[in-house]
Amino acid sequence: MIGQSSPFSEALKHAVLILGALIVILPFYVMVSYSLKSPREIETNTGGFFGAQEQMVDEYCVKLGNAREDCVETPVIYNYTQAFKKAPLLRYLLNGVIVTASIFFIQVLVALPCAYALSKLKFWGRDVVFGMVLFCLLIPVHAIALPLYIMLAKAGMTNTYAALVVPWTISVFGIFLMRQFFKTVPDDLIDAARMDGMNEFSIVWKVMLPTAIPALLAFAIFSVVAHWNDYFWPRVVITGNRDLYTPPLGLREFKGDGDGSYWGPMMATATIIVTPLIVAFLMAQKRFIEGITLTGMK
Amino acid sequence: MAVDVATAPAMERPAPVRRKLLTAESLAGYLFVAPAIVLMLVILIAPVLIAATLSFTDYSLGNPGFEWVGTENYEKMFSRSTYTKMLTASAIYVLVVVPVSIGLGLGAALLINSLKRFGDIYKTIYFLPVMAALLAMAIVWEFSLHPTIGIVNKVLASGCGGFLEEISDWYAAGCARNFPLWFGDRDYAIWTVCFIGIWQGFGFNMVLYLAGLTSVPRELYHAAAMDGADSAWDRFRLVTWPMLGPTTVFVVTIATIRSFQVFDTVEAITQGGPSKTTYVMMFAIYEKAIKHNLIGIGAAITVVFLVFVLLLTLAQRWLVERRVHYS
Repeated sequence: MIGQSSPFSEALKHAVLILGALIVILPFYVMVSYSLKSPREIETNTGGFFGAQEQMVDEYCVKLGNAREDCVETPVIYNYTQAFKKAPLLRYLLNGVIVTASIFFIQVLVALPCAYALSKLKFWGRDVVFGMVLFCLLIPVHAIALPLYIMLAKAGMTNTYAALVVPWTISVFGIFLMRQFFKTVPDDLIDAARMDGMNEFSIVWKVMLPTAIPALLAFAIFSVVAHWNDYFWPRVVITGNRDLYTPPLGLREFKGDGDGSYWGPMMATATIIVTPLIVAFLMAQKRFIEGITLTGMK
Repeated sequence: MAVDVATAPAMERPAPVRRKLLTAESLAGYLFVAPAIVLMLVILIAPVLIAATLSFTDYSLGNPGFEWVGTENYEKMFSRSTYTKMLTASAIYVLVVVPVSIGLGLGAALLINSLKRFGDIYKTIYFLPVMAALLAMAIVWEFSLHPTIGIVNKVLASGCGGFLEEISDWYAAGCARNFPLWFGDRDYAIWTVCFIGIWQGFGFNMVLYLAGLTSVPRELYHAAAMDGADSAWDRFRLVTWPMLGPTTVFVVTIATIRSFQVFDTVEAITQGGPSKTTYVMMFAIYEKAIKHNLIGIGAAITVVFLVFVLLLTLAQRWLVERRVHYS
């Protein structure tokens, strides 16, 4: 920027930004801290960030008829083991991975050849197809959830993995993003590959795919973040079958029996489902932000 | 002819440019776009048509047939208090969250951009909520704002007796009785839900603005300085803001569409209450159509929703194009 900022104005800026940062961090602080504390410490708001970690008695365990001394636990261990014990959290996490990975895999499988065709191949009707892509960009998939739900219900597909994955198999955004990217790839590269006797199919997967890695990464970020965190769609199509719950649904289930003593395990569950993406983000921040930027600059 | 089979839907008249109709290249083209076309038709375009059709019926899942009810569903939406409350809640949410989260995003981006050091730390922190599952964070906020054990009211109560009571009637009232129930109080619930929406989303806008700022040519600031624009406000008004125009249009569209889709906070915490003050559209679709199986009215809400999105996007296109003509 032009104009030298004085140390005073610099300090003022930091003060404002720090205040904002505190508000932004507050719930993360609460979440992690309370996942470490005993129910008593949560109710009285004592114990600092980590809690005193005094031994506590698991009342539920006593109710089941166990001896009191067998039910003594350290709060942090209690909270996190409860998170895994009370509901099959590992199963939910695995479902999250299966669903998120399948969605991304199929989206790429459909979008990459389409983007290649739209940017590099000549065929009659190409502009019409691209127009269709642009039109579909206007339709937010969450908004048409209801008719999609009816279609799946009619096909008897609710409460299946397919119901979680199928509506997201087409990403017009992905097609658009990759088409824009492929436009910048020189035609000579493709002509050379054809000279070498490659057919169009192998050009897509052996020539275009490797060059598209940056765009694919940007797209992966959007796709994975959206579907790992998505709560709406699983809530609609998975109604009874707990084996198909994704992490947010599993957390919601915890909330159902909102007895005060479960805040600790609930915060532990929240921490567990939020952590993978936060860690990924912290490790590859630059990539993430570049990715978002790349997609925003269309 | 083989040609007609391969390109059946598209071949009503002969291609004007290419005489040789089916080359290896165009065959590959059709094969490559075919899966995408089928999925677009089935997953995106057909549902819009289905929603439009069902919005004129009293259809419900499980029933063998349905009656045409004309515009009854739409009339209900604009006359019954439940739906007027729904439109009000959605409107408040969008009209609060969009400008505030964009303002904060822009403010944060400008401040961070002008810092000499440590800018990256703030960038990272402000972006954390964008990555975190909104449902999880909504539950944590609910807990933090809990009237008896929540950290927020405890902190507020700890300030009682101090100068804050003297300068703010609201604060004094809170100390005298209780601080708000936040999600349980009809005067506060929608604003609290808005607050979480802003908290969650502004980091995304910030990143887009930071990207926009890197593309503002520095010479423009020099030129503006030559013309006597000295204050930071002048530089912002004359150079930065106009240069950020396209970014802003994009950010507004994305933020608005996302705001119309708010669901997690409402479903997990308020269930649309108290007295329907947080009954936003996405939650209404879910509750009416999926929980209560009133598909017709759910479809009508869906159509209204899509019309809003369409109008917004067209307005965006128009604004961007107008800008291009002027510059």
